[in-house]
Amino acid sequence: MEQDIRIETLIIMSVAIFAVLAVVAFVVPFEDQETKLFFIAVVAALTGINVVGLFMVWRSSPTIVDEVFLMTPTGMLLKHYTRRLRPDQDEDILAGMLTAVQNFIRDSFDEAGGRLNEIRFENYDILISHGKSIVIAAIISTKKPERLRDQLKTATADLEAEFGDRIAKWTGDKKDLGDVDVIMKRFLSGKYRR
Amino acid sequence: MELREILKKIVLLGDGGVGKTSLIARYVVNKFDDKYIATIGTKVSKKDIQVVKPNLIVNLRMMIWDILGQKEYSKIRTSSLSGAQGVILVADLSRPETVNNLQSFWLKEVQQVVGKVPTVMVGNKTDMVDKGSMAATILESTGQKLGIPTLLSSAKTGENVEEMFLTLGDILVADVVAAQPRAKEKAPQTLAEVVDFIIQDFCAQYGDLEKAMLIVQHQFEDAGVDIRRPSKEAVLQALDGLAKAEELSLTKSVARVNLEERQRMVILSKG
Ligand SMILES: Nc1nc2c(ncn2[C@@H]2O[C@H](COP(=O)(O)OP(=O)(O)O)[C@@H](O)[C@H]2O)c(=O)[nH]1
Ligand SMILES: [Mg+2]
Repeated sequence: MEQDIRIETLIIMSVAIFAVLAVVAFVVPFEDQETKLFFIAVVAALTGINVVGLFMVWRSSPTIVDEVFLMTPTGMLLKHYTRRLRPDQDEDILAGMLTAVQNFIRDSFDEAGGRLNEIRFENYDILISHGKSIVIAAIISTKKPERLRDQLKTATADLEAEFGDRIAKWTGDKKDLGDVDVIMKRFLSGKYRR
Repeated sequence: MELREILKKIVLLGDGGVGKTSLIARYVVNKFDDKYIATIGTKVSKKDIQVVKPNLIVNLRMMIWDILGQKEYSKIRTSSLSGAQGVILVADLSRPETVNNLQSFWLKEVQQVVGKVPTVMVGNKTDMVDKGSMAATILESTGQKLGIPTLLSSAKTGENVEEMFLTLGDILVADVVAAQPRAKEKAPQTLAEVVDFIIQDFCAQYGDLEKAMLIVQHQFEDAGVDIRRPSKEAVLQALDGLAKAEELSLTKSVARVNLEERQRMVILSKG
């Protein structure tokens, strides 16, 4: 299954199939009205099953998380996970700059202290989720970021509950960080559930 | 020998034009394009340094935040300053008012946002101003009064640029170093035990066990060490060879610290 098939494409396909069958229903000379209605009902039912089936397939294909940054709200990178190699990219600096950009947006546009929670580009999304003492930013290049938003929230809440206090008091010594990998790797797989 | 990895956020502050951006540019190799930075108002750089103590190597990663703009843009500055674990306050020696502002404005701001954190004060542009100038004297006496180390630097010549970051780095890891138990003065061990310990220690620090064992074998043969009945002279000679290998695989300073420690153990051993 292609990873980046859009749900729109699936719906258009289903509607097209339905249209063809419907046309057939009108063109073919049926013997009586009942047979015709019956045929149309069968067409409608088949199309419905088709739509639901395609939707299920689409739903069950995982969203690919390309990169995840686990950071403090002050811009320090705690952990970085990636599927891509970007040799000239420094993830520590990226985490810092990502935080600086968020600060800039918040301080410039939002008096109430809101938070930037998404940056959208042509081919990828950066979803950002804020806990009290941790921030997770996920870079996603498939076209289904909306499904990850809930997972990201849940993972953030779980990490916060388990490691929040420790990270809030963290002095920068890597050995005091705790084992955040379990939760992060599950999130990275695109199927994070409680 | 224990290895620790420490990550710290440090921020440079001081009036506009004193040379903060220039000092950082001197110290780190920059990868980020400055065009974008002007808009956001903040630039993050990084530098890894190694602090070597007996029995302890600290790999310190400093994330260095440079905040653009003048005193007026306090909101963004406060956001960026948040979480700072070390601060370098910079003044321009050719403009004495920037020296006065260190204590009257910048230090106050730091204390308001992050409290008391390791701090270094710097008088920059020594290439333009005499080191005995009034501004330099005031800076140094302010530092002394507050118990803050001061340095006079020049981003132009590079003078004291590395030193200011190393000075701050030393303070940043001081608590880690202090918490480290000193090498216990153990009862003298036999030379064979010491040799055994050194081989293990060398392999652990080298990383690649197989390669490390080959080096050990080679160096011990060269020095004529008889593993079953080693002599101190031969072992000491082999240690030099191991140190040469460590200079390449680790760093010169680590190799030297290791060598001195191992020599001491061998000399003190019963054998
Ligand atoms: N002569 C001299 N000029 C310097 C030195 N450091 C910075 N400058 C110059 O001072 C100006 C302001 O420097 P900049 O780094 O942008 O200051 P910032 O506003 O504190 O970041 C620039 O024109 C630099 O070239 C120095 O050590 N000596
Ligand atoms: Mg600047």
